[in-house]
Amino acid sequence: MHTQNFPQLASVEQIERGFETHGYICSRKIATAVFLAFQLRKPVLVEGPPGVGKTELAKTTALLLDTPLIRLQCYEGLDEAKALYEWKYGKQLLYTQVLKEKLGDLLQGAHDLAESVARLHQFGDIFYSEEFLEPRPLLKAMQQEKGAILLIDEIDKADYEFESLLLEILSDYQISIPEIGTVKARTTPMVFLTSNNAREISDALKRRCLHLYIPFPTVELEERIVRSRVPDVDDQLRQQLVTFVHSLRQLDLKKAPAISETIDWARSLLLLHADHLDEELVRSTLNVLLKYEDDIEATNSDLHMLVKDSLTQQ
Amino acid sequence: MQSNLVNFVQVLRTHDVRISPAETLDAVEVATSLGYSDRSLLRDGLAMTLAKTPEEEVIFMHCFDQFFQQGLADFSTEDMIDATSAEALANSTKDTNNNTEASATSPSTALQLAAESNPALQSLMQTSLMQSLLNNDRNELTLAMNQAAERVGLQNIQMFTQKGQFTRRILDAMGEEQIRNTVISLEHDESPALSLLQRYRDRLRDQVRDYVEREYLLQAEGKTKQFMDDILSKTRLNNIEHIYLHKVHELIRKMAKKLATRHSRKRKQLKRGRLDMAKTLRKGIPHDGVMFNTYWRQVKKEKPQILAVCDVSGSVAAYAKFLLLFLYSLQDVLPKVRSFAFSSHLGEVSTYFAEHPIEKAIELVNWKYGGATDYGNSLLDFAKLAMNDINSNTTVIMLGDARNNNGDPKLEILQSIYQRARQVIWLNPESRRAWGSGDSEMLRYQSACHFSAECNNLKQLERIIDQLLKSSR
Repeated sequence: MHTQNFPQLASVEQIERGFETHGYICSRKIATAVFLAFQLRKPVLVEGPPGVGKTELAKTTALLLDTPLIRLQCYEGLDEAKALYEWKYGKQLLYTQVLKEKLGDLLQGAHDLAESVARLHQFGDIFYSEEFLEPRPLLKAMQQEKGAILLIDEIDKADYEFESLLLEILSDYQISIPEIGTVKARTTPMVFLTSNNAREISDALKRRCLHLYIPFPTVELEERIVRSRVPDVDDQLRQQLVTFVHSLRQLDLKKAPAISETIDWARSLLLLHADHLDEELVRSTLNVLLKYEDDIEATNSDLHMLVKDSLTQQ
Repeated sequence: MQSNLVNFVQVLRTHDVRISPAETLDAVEVATSLGYSDRSLLRDGLAMTLAKTPEEEVIFMHCFDQFFQQGLADFSTEDMIDATSAEALANSTKDTNNNTEASATSPSTALQLAAESNPALQSLMQTSLMQSLLNNDRNELTLAMNQAAERVGLQNIQMFTQKGQFTRRILDAMGEEQIRNTVISLEHDESPALSLLQRYRDRLRDQVRDYVEREYLLQAEGKTKQFMDDILSKTRLNNIEHIYLHKVHELIRKMAKKLATRHSRKRKQLKRGRLDMAKTLRKGIPHDGVMFNTYWRQVKKEKPQILAVCDVSGSVAAYAKFLLLFLYSLQDVLPKVRSFAFSSHLGEVSTYFAEHPIEKAIELVNWKYGGATDYGNSLLDFAKLAMNDINSNTTVIMLGDARNNNGDPKLEILQSIYQRARQVIWLNPESRRAWGSGDSEMLRYQSACHFSAECNNLKQLERIIDQLLKSSR
């Protein structure tokens, strides 16, 4: 991927604007990360609480560049066969049967063993060749002619060993297949890894990546995000609901509401034809924002104050 | 700029941010592709390559601001010299030199006038240092200061006691001596330019002192910290002052984390030699029943369960604090640790550790379980609470001095634990020679332990726990 091909990524400002046209409002830091990832051909390790738009970032970049998004969802027990490649055993089986039939013709007239072996060698071995290779996401990303966005989602869920598997891909953009050799990326893909910090990522992996931490957004940024995602919500309500969510995040909750929850909430308020917040409305829709019963109960008692604060803070 | 970047990386390293040479190269690349014109852009870009965790990012931001602090304070003298003294100066020079042009209100002209009667001042005025002071040329001064600092080796500063010494050396290297001498000669002449020059001198000194201070914070804080860490980990636990408790906590946390990552890997193990026939057949179905791949029986290794029992009675109070600290950190990094505390009776404290910050948790435990020791009773309590959970996958760690005030040791309980558990480990803060002396029951308890050791500083603790985890895999 070169700069000439993607004028969208020529500068940090341009990326910011480009993302905005696709409805992804980002801070300058995020745009810088994308810019650097492209310039230095380095993967980006995106960390942050769930729901702040880590996966969305990769999706939007794919939209912006109009390249395919190849996604690998990690989970415990993910292995080579599901992430890299697998052999098409069925086809290989057929091939051997075809070969068996051809064998008679091929070896006709051979005088001794040495000659038949020599003929066999001439025949060429395609048993292990790209034709019988079933590419999985990682290999697929290497094979894309015009480049791709590779999203390795929730890397922290995968096993420790799987990380080592990624090292070769992430630093040299190549995959070693023992039977064939090394497959180099036709065009360097842009790689995003996301992590929820379920466990510590190894230093070796971190070293190869740009590290981007996405925190909860500021009030202004979140308002812009809600405006772009749910444009029908009127200004007053938007201000109130964002302020309310921010005050929720100050509380000691099991899971603080993230951007995705704010957007969901804004949508539900829109459906309810609300034009301002009041205690009753918040109480009945609180389950959109908070996902734990404990959290809802804890918040319910302070709800009056919280709503009042977010109404006055404007 | 590149060497400046390398220096910056050095500074980050002393502040405990781990940066490899490859990352330094990345940083240089980032800097070239982003350019140096936009400060915050550069900062964000560098942060992405150099800081790898949110905590490191905070350190990075702090260091960046300190390191790339721009320029020096204003040297312009408008606030330094009030109109009257300038006037007086101008008047006096007019008198002595019969100069009719009394326009010398600016300090540099005032000094120049005074210089005519004083050769020392005159030669001083020619030096580049004085020139840049007079012209308020901060870039030039910063440069001179940096060069002087490099010449005297300021980056080697280690202790705060060296600050004065380095300030002096830098001033000398910048040629401040000449100003000093001139001040003396002006004093001698009782020249009116004296106070003006003195102010320049003081300003310069202040700047250099600030510069050294900043550099000390950047360079030496980290080094001093390393030094402290080193000392702390070798000191006997009961000798560590209370104020260092927090630092020790950090150290222990680091240590516990290190141990946890070293031992948390392999959970599954391939057992070559026994074929998993069922799985091999099943996986062969898509290929017409031809068994392409063979699958071997896998043994899932269970994570070891650890039960830690800690004596918090008066006799081991000083140790108990640290042992509890260790338990607390262990619980943070290893998932399956249950902690118990006792003196006369015993109870589980895992929830305290999980719910409260460290100081509060330790306080709670001491308050609830502190008192006179009764090992017999406590072992009974422990058996009631946890005996059913003890199996061949359990490691029991006892932390205590085994001094039972001559009560019934209830050895048989420990023996039954010994038979059920994978491992019983006793860590005793007393030295091995004292075991069995007086009311110590250590020798008898020792017979029902797989492993017992003396443990009274962090290094020992780390070694023992490391061994323990290795063998419990």
